[in-house]
Amino acid sequence: MGLVARVIEAAGIPTVTLNMIWVYQNLVGMPRLAAIEHPFGRPYGDVGDADTQAAVLRAALGVFERAREPGHVEHLPFTWHEDPADTDWHPAEPSPIIALVKRARAKREDGS
Amino acid sequence: MNAPDEDKRVDPWRFAGGFISRALGAQIPDEPTHEPIPWAPIAKSVPVAKVALLSTAGLSMRGDAPFDMEMERKNPMRGDPSWRRLPADASAADVAANHLHIKTDYIERDLNVALPLDRLREAVGAGEVGAIADTHYSIMGYQGNDPSTLLETSAPAIAAAMKNEEVDLALLAPV
Repeated sequence: MGLVARVIEAAGIPTVTLNMIWVYQNLVGMPRLAAIEHPFGRPYGDVGDADTQAAVLRAALGVFERAREPGHVEHLPFTWHEDPADTDWHPAEPSPIIALVKRARAKREDGS
Repeated sequence: MNAPDEDKRVDPWRFAGGFISRALGAQIPDEPTHEPIPWAPIAKSVPVAKVALLSTAGLSMRGDAPFDMEMERKNPMRGDPSWRRLPADASAADVAANHLHIKTDYIERDLNVALPLDRLREAVGAGEVGAIADTHYSIMGYQGNDPSTLLETSAPAIAAAMKNEEVDLALLAPV
């Protein structure tokens, strides 16, 4: 997604990327980055939590006003309402790449 | 909502778990390796700007072709690199979320968790945002080892569509 931000920005439209794994910045170089500590799949807030969704939206839009140079990174001040152990964000079945890696690892361990 | 922590430094791996943290963390260099960062100066401030949203959740309007998940099941190294338009009045009932790396149930119950069109409309009503674009966008974020189609075809097409609608600011959110 950060790469898409670069394409849109290069076309002349300012972007902010709201991003959980903000450390990708070293690899990607996003024009303006709003780091958010929310679980995958729900970057703006939980189901029905309009207050958090609105506050995250407002904070992310605020980055447009505050960023002065390319590569601006801002850490948004939000804390998810559940502990990671209680937060269910995984798909019901592992993604194909995760399944592939786990199968390869199991095969390696069988063979060793 | 928890009280805001103004000194917060986001832990990028808080929800990832050890396996994903190690796999993704290994791809990330300690120092910047990217090309120079493009920069478009702000022409209009947020209270007078037209804003468009983009999500990587693999969102499509019911009735449009969904993102193709079989493509990724056959080749786990890359997901569907195409893109979709979503009208500003889309809601969860109108939208399918096809993404094999997250639990999509939340988005299908409340679109605002990933594409907060209701919240953006309310912000326009409150005078905090100038206007909501007629069209918003989705891609499917997992492009694995080959983002070429996304970058050479989908992203330029999205940028052109935004320009065509005179979008001033684009807010993107990976899932």
